[in-house]
Amino acid sequence: MARFGETVGRVATLPLVLIARAFDPVLRLWQRGTGTGGMVAFFLLPNMAIFGVFVIIPLVLNFVYSLTGGTNILLGDRSFIGFGQYGRLLECGNYLQPLTCREDQFWTAVRNTSLFVLFQVSLMVCVSMITALILNRNIAGRGFFRAVFFFPVLLSPVVVGLIWRWILQRQGLMNLIVTNLGFDPVVWLNDRFFAFAAAIGVSTWAHMGFYTLILLAGLQAIPKDLYEAAEMDATPPARVFWRITLPLLGPNLAVVLVLALIRGVQIFDEAYVLTGGGPGTSTLFLTQYIYEVGFASFLRNPGLAAAASILMGLVLVVLTLIQLGLSRRAERGNTR
Amino acid sequence: MGRIALEGIRKSFGTVDVIHGIDLEIGEGELVVFVGPSGCGKSTLLRLIAGLDQPTSGKIEIDGVDVTRKGAADRGLAMVFQSYALYPHMTVRQNLSFGLENARMPKAEIDQRVEEAARMLDIGELLTRRPTQLSGGQRQRVAIGRAIVRNPTAFLLDEPLSNLDAELRGTMRAELAALHARLATTMIYVTHDQIEAMTLADRIVVLRKGRIEQVDTPLNLYNRPQNLFVAGFIGAPNMNFFVTEAKSGRAALPGGAEVVLDHAGPVTIGIRPQHLRLAQDSERAIAAKVHLVEALGAETVVHASAEGAGSILTVLEGQPLIERGAEIRLAFDDENIHAFDADGQRIG
Ligand SMILES: Nc1ncnc2c1ncn2[C@@H]1O[C@H](COP(=O)(O)OP(=O)(O)OP(=O)(O)O)[C@@H](O)[C@H]1O
Ligand SMILES: [Mg+2]
Repeated sequence: MARFGETVGRVATLPLVLIARAFDPVLRLWQRGTGTGGMVAFFLLPNMAIFGVFVIIPLVLNFVYSLTGGTNILLGDRSFIGFGQYGRLLECGNYLQPLTCREDQFWTAVRNTSLFVLFQVSLMVCVSMITALILNRNIAGRGFFRAVFFFPVLLSPVVVGLIWRWILQRQGLMNLIVTNLGFDPVVWLNDRFFAFAAAIGVSTWAHMGFYTLILLAGLQAIPKDLYEAAEMDATPPARVFWRITLPLLGPNLAVVLVLALIRGVQIFDEAYVLTGGGPGTSTLFLTQYIYEVGFASFLRNPGLAAAASILMGLVLVVLTLIQLGLSRRAERGNTR
Repeated sequence: MGRIALEGIRKSFGTVDVIHGIDLEIGEGELVVFVGPSGCGKSTLLRLIAGLDQPTSGKIEIDGVDVTRKGAADRGLAMVFQSYALYPHMTVRQNLSFGLENARMPKAEIDQRVEEAARMLDIGELLTRRPTQLSGGQRQRVAIGRAIVRNPTAFLLDEPLSNLDAELRGTMRAELAALHARLATTMIYVTHDQIEAMTLADRIVVLRKGRIEQVDTPLNLYNRPQNLFVAGFIGAPNMNFFVTEAKSGRAALPGGAEVVLDHAGPVTIGIRPQHLRLAQDSERAIAAKVHLVEALGAETVVHASAEGAGSILTVLEGQPLIERGAEIRLAFDDENIHAFDADGQRIG
């Protein structure tokens, strides 16, 4: 039996072995030239090339675009105007009232995104925390429920948006339930409030499995005997949560918070499919604004879109730095 | 305060029966040690008493009150865990005061109790530190301190010293003994270290496969083990056993020595290595051939073998001159003989 398995394994890996053989002379030559240190560079090269082509170069290009004006898409046809696009974005009478700004849509999107992040992240942290706490208990069918909550994470955001649009549309599942309960049907996505709430709820539903998983891992890393010690200490359940679970989960919670913030700021696909930014501009978020200004609107302005995305990028950089710092602290905490 | 009674305690995990009916009474202020081989159910029994697990059947009483269905929080006991289980994110002071705050004790009294425990355990300097900043021995003290401040009806300790090195274990053992003498609180102490059991215990409970084999004072266990298991378990090195047959009031040992025995049928004769000595000329003795000599200075351990009896261990005082391969004759006194019947129960 073991022999048979070995043979199968050998045949299955044969292509890999052949490829490796083919590379061998090249690698030898390289190593002779650069020494072992150079090998590190060799193995990193493919990934760095991809990173360069798809991240670094677009980033630089994006910045260059943000310094140019006009409606032409090719860089050669565009005129250099310095920081004019930034000036245009930031020109505003009162930042809290988007209509007093020159680019009122931008500031509407900023306001919407901020509100969205505020509510969605709070909801996300609470919901995934509660779910993790429940799933961490010895309930029947725990594995099944873990799968149920994680499943939406595997769905494409577009699919998520479509599913919920069908549920919430005029003749959708939701209205079926509502009318059966004896109420009048509501056109959910035509209502400013409900549309915004739906964007929050749907994106929370779609991503909570991921955050629940992080918190669940954190919960399971807390030694059982601490809870037994707390039990011997006659600790009330609420106090166990606030004084033991929460502090020990702190690093994981911080990672969840910042990751959710970063993804919240970037909210686009599921919300766009769900509401298309409407009704009016009530669910217009930053990424959608950038997309529309840069590519989709009749009078497209790539420079303005580029400038807006650079500003958004700055916010994300700050959040990412915080996240890195926190996860590094969490790491140190875990290796105590 | 601190009387604990177990009645017919059984515990199963699923289909696995771990504890098979334990009856035990622990008196006020007594220090009782549970010993037994690994996996015999010592920790399980302790957790049942603590209330961290529920028995499958049976009754647990503390000071005459049935607490079987009460949770750990309502039993007024304190436990010292093998892993210490200190709250890693709290300072030593917070670790000590946590349980008292749960009981909504006034701040002043909490401080006073913490200070007192800290003084008793000599951890006053460490109060502002986190558990990660402590050595193993210091953590051990804090874990004990956390139990002391609560002024419990009884202390439960699960192998509290097993994570310490040999030297520290010796010191802590002495300190625990002193602590018990001072607090006079009931303690149940789990260990598989015989020396801890013998030196600390008022009474030792010897467990095997979820059953009590014998409950007695350390010296009684040593002097009058009730069965083969206890005889073999207590005492180091292990007792020598000779399987033989008792006929007409006598049982023969290898090499012709006979012992008088009021019994008939198969018997096992046990003699501790310390109770064998080199025989004088005509004395009754077991003949054996030496195959290893371990001279430890104060004593000499002789590994020998006798025909039909396998190996015999002898601990001789001092440094007698014995060489490998020598033929020796080992004498013993009648009062040091332990005899067990075919079921392994003590005779006489
Ligand atoms: N939660 C559990 N589920 C199933 N079996 C268990 C559980 N806890 C303990 N056991 C079993 O019960 C038996 C007794 O375990 P216990 O921990 O009480 O042994 P112990 O005497 O403390 O051993 P040690 O000296 O190694 O600590 C073991 O066979 C163990 O496998
Ligand atoms: Mg144990």
